Amino acid sequence: MTGFEQIIGINPWTALFTFCNMIITFLLLKKFLFKPVKKMIDDRQKEIDDMYAQAENSRAEAARLQADYEEHLSSARAERDEILRDAVSRARKRETEIVEEARSDAAALRAKAESDIAQERKKALNEVKNEISSISISIAQEVVEREITAADHERLVTEFIGKLGEPDD
Amino acid sequence: MNGPKIYLQINGMNVITQTTVSSFVVMVILCVAGYFLGRNLKKRPGRMQVITEKGVAMIYGLVEDTMGKHNAYWTPYIGALFLSSICGSLIGMTGILRSTTSDISTTLTWALMTSFLVWGCTIKNSGLKVFLKGYINPMNIISDIAQPVSMGFRHFGNIMGGSVLTSLLYTALAAGSAMILKLIKSSGLAVIAVVAALGGAAFFFAMKKKKLALKILGIALFLIALSAALEYFGVFEEIPILEVGLPGILSLYFDIFSGFVQALVFSLLTMVYVGMACPPRR
Repeated sequence: MTGFEQIIGINPWTALFTFCNMIITFLLLKKFLFKPVKKMIDDRQKEIDDMYAQAENSRAEAARLQADYEEHLSSARAERDEILRDAVSRARKRETEIVEEARSDAAALRAKAESDIAQERKKALNEVKNEISSISISIAQEVVEREITAADHERLVTEFIGKLGEPDD
Repeated sequence: MNGPKIYLQINGMNVITQTTVSSFVVMVILCVAGYFLGRNLKKRPGRMQVITEKGVAMIYGLVEDTMGKHNAYWTPYIGALFLSSICGSLIGMTGILRSTTSDISTTLTWALMTSFLVWGCTIKNSGLKVFLKGYINPMNIISDIAQPVSMGFRHFGNIMGGSVLTSLLYTALAAGSAMILKLIKSSGLAVIAVVAALGGAAFFFAMKKKKLALKILGIALFLIALSAALEYFGVFEEIPILEVGLPGILSLYFDIFSGFVQALVFSLLTMVYVGMACPPRR
């Protein structure tokens, strides 16, 4: 130690050392402190921003999906109603058709049955007529005891039966 | 009040002084601290990293607010300047080293660095022509000289003034305590006892009433009586009893507050001057 400097005095050596120290401090702090820390802060900020953006996207996506789903649901519901209505109306129509058909079938059946009955009756009557005529012929043979030709018989009987009365048609 | 001590003199030039050593120590402290704080950074920070990031973000915020977003790349220099200044001022509180900023060589160097940065930025951004055109008005030469001088002397003066005031205060308090102790001592042992009793009474009364000021007064009176007694019996001589406490409170202002404010002012002025030389690009 060789004493003291003036209180106010400029020492170029001190100035030089101060300058160098300042530059070194600046460079080292920049390299080791400011740049890495700033980078870390920025990275984290970016990550957070990304996360928020992603979350926002997901939310929008979910909302879209929900809207989609609801729309689908409501359209499906409408479709279902439509189908149901359609089916009901068709069923009703079919019902009336079936009933109509049954009714007409029944009517036709009845008419046929009636006509059959009438025919059978006519047939039966004719048979009875024939039977009677043949019986009458044999009876007449017995009674008359003489041969007449079959044709005569036929004629006689027919006349006879004609006198008995006309069969119903 | 002396200037910095001279440690090494070559050919009549003071090569290494107290300021040089302090400046070196500050540089080492800052670099080591910066290295350890900036190491092992994680996405999920620990306590230390949170504080570090807060500090760095604050400096970045300050620079961006003052110089604009486009000048954010100046932050490391401003931060280094600010930290060097504040640590250089605070290192004087160790009592071993002298504040680097209470040497005009330091502050004037920093101020000149600012000036050179301003001139360099002006030439880089506006061209040599515009830079030289500014000196058509010779007042600008004066202002360019006055700018670093005022910056350097402001910082130096505030820190130096603080130490001068502190040393004056110490001298005054030493004289005051010598005077009071002499007065009590010469009045005899009875007065010493009375003062001690007064101090004790004030202290116990204050303990009951919970009054801080009265408690301190009681302790002070008791200590004065004690040191008067010690001097009376010849154990010690010239006890500077009044130097206890009071300078510590003033040191809060002169060393910590003033050091912080001057560092802030110096950095702010640097930011403003350099920021004006680096306008936003279109």
